[in-house]
Amino acid sequence: MTQNISPAPEGAVRYVDGAKVLDYLPQVFNVKPSSSYYFWLMAPALIVLAAISIYPFFWLIWMSLHNVGSSAGDTFVGLKNFEKLLTDDKFWIGWGLLFKYSAFCMFFEIAIGVLLAVILNGHRFENILVTVFLMPMMMAPAIAGLVWYYLFNSTFGWYHWLLQSLGILGETSIIGSTDTAMAALIIVDIWQWTPLITLITLAGMKRVPRDQLEANMVDGASAFRNFVAITLPNIYPFLLIGIMLRFMDNFRFIDVILALTGGGPAESTKVLPVYLFDVSFVFFKLGRGAAIALTLLIVTIILCKLLVRVFEGPASKRTDMGS
Amino acid sequence: MASRDVVTYKTPLSRLLNVVIVIFLAFYLVWTVLPLFLMFVSSFKDLLAAFQLPPVGAFSQIGLFFDFAPTTKHYYNLFYNLDFSTYLMNSIIAAGGSAVVSVVLGSMAAYSLSRVDFRGKGDLFFWIISTRMAPVVAVLVPLYAIFRGFDLIGTRTGLILAYTTFNLPFAIWILKGFFDNVPFAIEEASMVDGSTRFQAFRAILPLVAPGIGAFIVLCVLFAWNDFLFASIIGSGGAKTLPPATRELVQPQNIQWGSIMAAGVVTTVPMMFLGLLIRRYLVTGLTMGAVRE
Repeated sequence: MTQNISPAPEGAVRYVDGAKVLDYLPQVFNVKPSSSYYFWLMAPALIVLAAISIYPFFWLIWMSLHNVGSSAGDTFVGLKNFEKLLTDDKFWIGWGLLFKYSAFCMFFEIAIGVLLAVILNGHRFENILVTVFLMPMMMAPAIAGLVWYYLFNSTFGWYHWLLQSLGILGETSIIGSTDTAMAALIIVDIWQWTPLITLITLAGMKRVPRDQLEANMVDGASAFRNFVAITLPNIYPFLLIGIMLRFMDNFRFIDVILALTGGGPAESTKVLPVYLFDVSFVFFKLGRGAAIALTLLIVTIILCKLLVRVFEGPASKRTDMGS
Repeated sequence: MASRDVVTYKTPLSRLLNVVIVIFLAFYLVWTVLPLFLMFVSSFKDLLAAFQLPPVGAFSQIGLFFDFAPTTKHYYNLFYNLDFSTYLMNSIIAAGGSAVVSVVLGSMAAYSLSRVDFRGKGDLFFWIISTRMAPVVAVLVPLYAIFRGFDLIGTRTGLILAYTTFNLPFAIWILKGFFDNVPFAIEEASMVDGSTRFQAFRAILPLVAPGIGAFIVLCVLFAWNDFLFASIIGSGGAKTLPPATRELVQPQNIQWGSIMAAGVVTTVPMMFLGLLIRRYLVTGLTMGAVRE
């Protein structure tokens, strides 16, 4: 038996037949675990996951090609469900509103979240303040929507009273007018999710090399210049992750919208997932709903591809290894 | 660290900046806490007191908000007249059940995915994360059709399965990152001592136990806060707290006191859980991409 004791650098791991082999150990310790063992260990999870994701996905495709739930039973209609979408105004408006909603949320959350992180980083009360600020994130979005519905109510809502007293709004509540209902949704999203951006940015700022900041300061850079030249490039990958995650969450959840406006008034807040919900579970046109769901899924998968690329960026490295 | 103390000079401008910062923080603090505070206080208000508002522009009468006799009758109403103890139980079982199923299966899969390499592993991971990120409504459409066939609508089992669609991929994805940080040498040492491979797996579990515990809590949180699955798949027999609260909103008689009380009942446990796993929160909410 060869005593192969080569001092391999950390991280240099070889795979032989799917099993991890560590070169720096004597050969005798590198017992080759059969990969079937690992296969059996991951099988239950993957089978369950396939049953609740791949199987429904094929069902979704099947449904999108049928007229589901009609009195004559499920009839095959080919691509008719998709053809109808092309001329369906609500479908296209829904996409437009969804991107508008997500973009506005993102803009304000990034602006406020980063500002907050810059202020909080190294602040005397950083820990306690961050802990208080992240409380809204723990709240069920549906409950948050209901609480804000109460606050915005035009006859007894305190926030409506405040907005009215300040002369910003008239008699109509913010969720009662087609011009302002979207703003109400964005306000709630900002309230609930800005802390996430702050948390992510703070995690990034802890990793900004201090010596660079100091060197730059010695060279006479202002604090603002320092932020733009050194901090921002360093936290950029973190911000990207935050943006992607929030963007996808805006696609994923419509709880707040259902609780606050239900898509109204006059469909001014009927973003695509809400429209999908209405088609599928209010009017029970499941075939049509499946077609809409497929388009939504495809866009999500493209976004997901981008997300995975972002995830592999420098932000995912551990703190204790760098700096 | 001496380099921590960068010498700064107090100029009038920096003093002004400090004042602005304090005002901003105070404003943000109020903005964050006020809705929660109003929810909490309103849950103790009588119906009439909840409807009282000062006239428009009368800022001096803002104290009217505290002008009420506290009552706990809304909480009493929730649990004795309405069926909220059942809904609470549904929430606990559905969220807890799916969290346990997801983390048990997920940790086994995550462990082996971290230890073994094979062709198509990247695709497998992409499948896992895209399952997690799929819009809830889009998943709901086929799941509803399937569950209707299996008579799973309105059952806790159905709800547990539905929650597993997002909790299981989450658990696999995030725990894999945890197992990646445990050196294989520990298992090897254990196997050299004569343990079987499964015992070796158990030997490293204590190292990842805090993480596993935290992610069970996070899975509970995701499932507990869900509204869409619960309102469609849970409708009928397995109503959880969020849809039950939503149903208190009726066109005629909106019971605001009860709604706020239900909001408190739903929110407070999750806030405590959130604080409990504060250290893992950033990692969990960013799918492991950002570590504190």
